[in-house]
Amino acid sequence: MNKYNPPRMNPSSLRSRFATRFLRSLSKINAKKPTASSSSPTEIFRRYRRIKVAADKSMAYSVRSRRTWSRAMLWKLRTRPCCRRSVKTSTIVRKTRHEKQNKNTTTTTGEDGVVFGVEADELRELVPGGEAMDLYNLLDETAHYIKCLTTQVQVMKKIADFYSP
Amino acid sequence: MDKGEKDKYELENRNENSINYQAPVMSSDWQFGGANLTTAGMSLVPSGNPLAIGSSCASASVADSFGSNLWEHPSNSQNLGFCGINVQNGASSSNAMGIGKSTLTSLRSGVDRPFDMGWNAASSMLKGGFFLPNTTGILPQSLSQFPADSAFIERAARFSSFNGGTFSDMVIPFGMPESMGLYTGGMGLMRGPEDMFAANGMKSVSGVESQKIKLNVTEATRDACLQVENRAKKSPGNDRRNGSLLRANEEAKQGIGGSGNESDEAEFSGHDGGQDEPSSLDGAGGEPSAKGLSLKKRKRSLQDAEIDQAKGGQPSTEAAKDGAENQQKGDQKQTTSVNKTTGKQLSPASHPPKEEYIHVRARRGQATNSHSLAERVRREKISERMKFLQDIVPGCSKVTGKAVMLDEIINYVQSLQRQVEFLSMKLATVNPRLDFNIEGLLAKDIIQSRAGPSSTLGFSPDLSVGYPSLHPSQPGLFQAALPVTGSNTGVIHRSLSSQFTSLTGGLKESNQLSNPWEDELHNVVQMNYGTSAPSDDLNGLNHLEIHK
Repeated sequence: MNKYNPPRMNPSSLRSRFATRFLRSLSKINAKKPTASSSSPTEIFRRYRRIKVAADKSMAYSVRSRRTWSRAMLWKLRTRPCCRRSVKTSTIVRKTRHEKQNKNTTTTTGEDGVVFGVEADELRELVPGGEAMDLYNLLDETAHYIKCLTTQVQVMKKIADFYSP
Repeated sequence: MDKGEKDKYELENRNENSINYQAPVMSSDWQFGGANLTTAGMSLVPSGNPLAIGSSCASASVADSFGSNLWEHPSNSQNLGFCGINVQNGASSSNAMGIGKSTLTSLRSGVDRPFDMGWNAASSMLKGGFFLPNTTGILPQSLSQFPADSAFIERAARFSSFNGGTFSDMVIPFGMPESMGLYTGGMGLMRGPEDMFAANGMKSVSGVESQKIKLNVTEATRDACLQVENRAKKSPGNDRRNGSLLRANEEAKQGIGGSGNESDEAEFSGHDGGQDEPSSLDGAGGEPSAKGLSLKKRKRSLQDAEIDQAKGGQPSTEAAKDGAENQQKGDQKQTTSVNKTTGKQLSPASHPPKEEYIHVRARRGQATNSHSLAERVRREKISERMKFLQDIVPGCSKVTGKAVMLDEIINYVQSLQRQVEFLSMKLATVNPRLDFNIEGLLAKDIIQSRAGPSSTLGFSPDLSVGYPSLHPSQPGLFQAALPVTGSNTGVIHRSLSSQFTSLTGGLKESNQLSNPWEDELHNVVQMNYGTSAPSDDLNGLNHLEIHK
């Protein structure tokens, strides 16, 4: 019989790190699910939340603290309130964001000659930890964030395809 | 330095010996030729010296006989019809050898040509002539020994650091003819400074200078080593530029020969100018070199700017500007006044090289306020980032304008985040049939295995081009860019089938297993296609999936 050895990728690459962590967390999540209530939508929703958090967390841990967005994401995940407290913090978050929008428009235009205005703010919202960065670092973080997101999507897609019926 | 000169001579002797040793056949022919010479010489020459030649030929080792022949032949040259040949100067002796060879060719045939080439090479080394481009056949063997000697490199660099470009060419141990030509050009120029110093009577100053040059040597070695790969790629193109740089350096050198300090900086800036040019747009290579160079440039005076511009005013200074856009520490220096005076020397089309935080020069006709300079640098950095993002985000190549680009980027990030959410929802609904651990390992293998050739889709080259400059340490991601979503099924199919065959040990079940997998994978493809429709930006991907 012929042995097929797939060429191994770099074991310390972002993708492999994320994959191992995510699979571990996935197995943990699936281990504690009772089979009876697995099909109820609430249970599925809860699992979805947990899986999403697990995905974000494993991605942020794979990047460690090298990137601002990963640090911000880790901090966000650590101080993530449980469902009960989420209402309060979300309002606070919304208010500060509103304040920041007024502020950021002035700072972005003043930094460089090109007016970026609203788009930069939107980008800051999207990228975790982007509120406190100037435009250049923001673009830098965005590039890395995009790369990590594509890794995440790819790995999760493969896992989903693997387990789909 | 006398020591340097002595070492030079030693090395030249070594070179001669190496040539000798590498051409034992030739020398043996020489011996035969010598034997012929005796017979022929006896007819030509009345004296009994050819007998000495013949005996010396026949005796001793190759090198010794060769050397003795070398020294004895000129003494007999008069017998052979030559006159007024100095024995002391090796150059002239080799010249005599060259001339003598021409007569000997009449006596011998065929073998002399490599000999002549070898001696011509030696003479070029000694005299600094440029015979070499004709004779690259032999030399790469001998010259390849040199780059291995780092001490020699330093000494050579000491004298050839005037030629910024050629030094790194010397470091490359390739036998490339162009680089060898430049190498000897550099070595030839090593002679130049020595002669110049001797002529100017600056032996004492040269000692001081050489100490200062030592500082540059280490820099040059490091920077040259950093740029070795760049040189290897671009050395054919460097020929003309470095050749012109050599000549410019020589002229500039002679103009500056008076003050040691200036020439010290001249070397370095010439070195810098020479190095900045070829590192055109290679980001990875350009970054460390520019960083190393700019770190040393911190204390340079304004004279440096003039000299740098005088030498580095070659067309491709945009390369220096690109290399300058790096994160570096240092003080911001304003040389705008200098720029204005020396701007006349430059051609209007060339932009002076700009460096970050150390040397920001105002371009012609632009504001020279320090704030505006800093702003311009920032703007350029931002535009560079935008270009990079344009490469990463698919479908942005035709979009121009920063606002639209930012919108595209925002849409793309949003779509990616939505994709993650959707996939996590999907994973939540999936009921794993088998235990997670084993299958998790399997999946890890699948995930870690390289995607098959099907992953090369339309815009994956763009993505792979964009990645290397950002994350060179993660090459596995290059071909695992976005379009892989379309190729996952094919990959999984192949890897799964292979994995299952290996798992089941080639049982017959494997065949039966693979068949249902194929059907399921087809279903999966359709399902993926149907379920990933909602995202706008995925439409392009879906089209690609169709084509697959």
